[in-house]
Amino acid sequence: MSFVPKPSVGAFPSLLAWQRFALALLACAATALIATPLLKYLDLANIVMLFLLTVLLIGVSLGLAPALLAAFVSVGMFDFFFVPPRFSFEVHDGQYLVTFAVMLAVAIITGQLTAGLRRQADESAAEALRTHALYEMARDLSGALMLEQVVDITRDFLHKVLNAESTILLPDSTGRLQACSGQKSARLQIEPRLAIMAYDGGKPVDCVQLADSGYAELYLPLKASQRVRGVVAVASSESGLAPEFLHTQQQRLETMASLVAIAVERVHYVDVAQNTQVQIVSERLRSSILSALSHDLRTPLTALVGLADSLTISKPPLAEAALETAEAIREQAERLAGLVGNLLDMARLNAGDVTLQKEWQPIEEVIGSSIKLLGRALAEHPVKVSLAKDVPLIEFDAVLIERVFCNLLENAAKYSPPGLAIEIAVHLRDGKLEVAVSDSGQGFAVDKDHAVFEMFVRGQPESSTPGVGLGLAICRAIVEAHAGTITAANRAQGGACVTFSLPLGEPPRIEEEVLAQEDGRQSCNP
Amino acid sequence: MSAKVTERVSERAATVLVVEDEKLIRRFVRTALEGEGCRVFEAATSAQGLIEAGQQKPDLVVLDLGLPDGNGIDFIRHLRGWSDVPILVLSARAHEKDKIQALDVGADDYLTKPFGVGELRARARALLRRQSRDGEGATPIMEFGDVRVDFSRRAVTRKGDALHLTPIEYRLLCVLLANSGKVMTQRHLLREVWGPSCVESNHYLRVYLGHLRQKLEDDPTQPKYLLTETGVGYRFQP
Repeated sequence: MSFVPKPSVGAFPSLLAWQRFALALLACAATALIATPLLKYLDLANIVMLFLLTVLLIGVSLGLAPALLAAFVSVGMFDFFFVPPRFSFEVHDGQYLVTFAVMLAVAIITGQLTAGLRRQADESAAEALRTHALYEMARDLSGALMLEQVVDITRDFLHKVLNAESTILLPDSTGRLQACSGQKSARLQIEPRLAIMAYDGGKPVDCVQLADSGYAELYLPLKASQRVRGVVAVASSESGLAPEFLHTQQQRLETMASLVAIAVERVHYVDVAQNTQVQIVSERLRSSILSALSHDLRTPLTALVGLADSLTISKPPLAEAALETAEAIREQAERLAGLVGNLLDMARLNAGDVTLQKEWQPIEEVIGSSIKLLGRALAEHPVKVSLAKDVPLIEFDAVLIERVFCNLLENAAKYSPPGLAIEIAVHLRDGKLEVAVSDSGQGFAVDKDHAVFEMFVRGQPESSTPGVGLGLAICRAIVEAHAGTITAANRAQGGACVTFSLPLGEPPRIEEEVLAQEDGRQSCNP
Repeated sequence: MSAKVTERVSERAATVLVVEDEKLIRRFVRTALEGEGCRVFEAATSAQGLIEAGQQKPDLVVLDLGLPDGNGIDFIRHLRGWSDVPILVLSARAHEKDKIQALDVGADDYLTKPFGVGELRARARALLRRQSRDGEGATPIMEFGDVRVDFSRRAVTRKGDALHLTPIEYRLLCVLLANSGKVMTQRHLLREVWGPSCVESNHYLRVYLGHLRQKLEDDPTQPKYLLTETGVGYRFQP
């Protein structure tokens, strides 16, 4: 069904123009045929009435133009068939000329009036249907859950009601307007400048010159409660349609645009809410899996370390060999615990599950605590720490940077012969804090010095030293989370050196202590 | 030395309550502590632990923070409602927040899993010793390494030379020494030394502790006595 007004088409809109005219002619001929036998009983004036009735009926049923044709044909037929001398256009009595003139005038006026009434009835019916369609569209839009649905509903509405093509343009993440692809492909071309004008200005932009060019000619902003959400571009699709038609419908189009805008905004918020929901659920799931995993892996390892250790104090004491075995079990279990810790850390860091607990603190504090933490693992390697003068407070997550030091020191101890020192040097360079941890071992295999920071890559691939190659990957993840950099190199004098840097930033001011204030509480804030 | 310590707790052997859901961990904790001459009671759940604590009146509670029925923090709160028995918490690494929370609601120390017999015994001994010393009154003089602190004269010497400490440094040192062997959370230290309005100013604490290390430790980067418990706080280790 189309609601687009055509030149008045009467009651049979499916008929072609020539069929309409043929029908009109047939009707006139039929009237003449019926009236011929009645001539004996009726006055000529009544025959005229029959023809006028026919024109009226044609005007109602077939429209204005057939009615006008019928008016002329009726006058002709009346003259030819009924006015004496019959079967000729000759008229002997001059009075009949008046009859013809009046008959023609009445027929034309009747045809026009009836056809006009018909058209008005049609138009108001179409208008009612359009209003109804708008209502239905509003109802459909209120049920739409996805943008594609909104686009399709809009397109269907415009196609059905105004016989127009349309596309919805929405801003993408960078704020540029993009045609929103519905399920049906759009053939409509968009003039981007006009769309942007409508989007930025919040007013409809109308370019009559673009009609029938394949470009959209009307750009309506989608004004929602918060802001303009996009633009709907409309073009009348059928050539030959009155170009002003779209513009007569502007009021309705604007109503439609605000309905679409509300729907787009609603869908947008549904999306936002859904994403948040999904994010919350997946984060909760991830951290519960990680903590369950960490609990399930650590509990047996804790038991293993402890039980192996408690063998060494059993009474009566175990034989020497058994004691050594118990010691070895403990060591291996501890190493395993370390590996599990690294794996879980890596999983956490990769999952983005780590929020940095950054605080301003001296770097030497974590150096000291990591050396203390490693304890036995560093027993055979003295650690030399050289700290440049006036290193300021640095903002970092102490637990994570301690992990970096532990991993680097552990590596250094693992890969260098016993008795050789491990060096930690801290100094400032290029507005950054630079920390170098170096050993005197065999160093990294050549051309491996960058890959060692990848997961499961080891400096010495066939090394008999235990490890899976996660330590440095964790270091990199942590340092990069602090906006720092980390590099590995071999020292000229032999041995590996891993250097990482942390940004300096602006440390908070520390109030100098006032010595006179002997017993009062010191202020911590300026 | 350990035998002496436990003797001093009282005439009877010290009693320890172990609240831990994992049977094997309970078993080796029991072995380790019985080797110290303690009597050990076990509880697998927090509810049972509270009942046992009421009945046995232990001298020390060893508590796993991850109990199946309710968390260990609630257990500590309950217990602290009517008892000041020392509590040693067992917790995994990377759970610093839990540790801090446990210490803040009244736990005395923590051990990070996995741990060995030696560490467990050392912590338990330190806590039992503190317990027995309570009520004896503080000693006027403390010594560690080359350092000697005379509380009555507010004098600190190192290798016989007088050291100048600022009032804050001295107060910080006193708080740490008074809680010798015990982990002090940053919040706690800040409240004690700077007052309750300064509990967020962690960097002050760090800077002043650095000063103390410079003055008292042989190698301030590898301290022996003023230890950092990363992410949690500090501990004076005699």
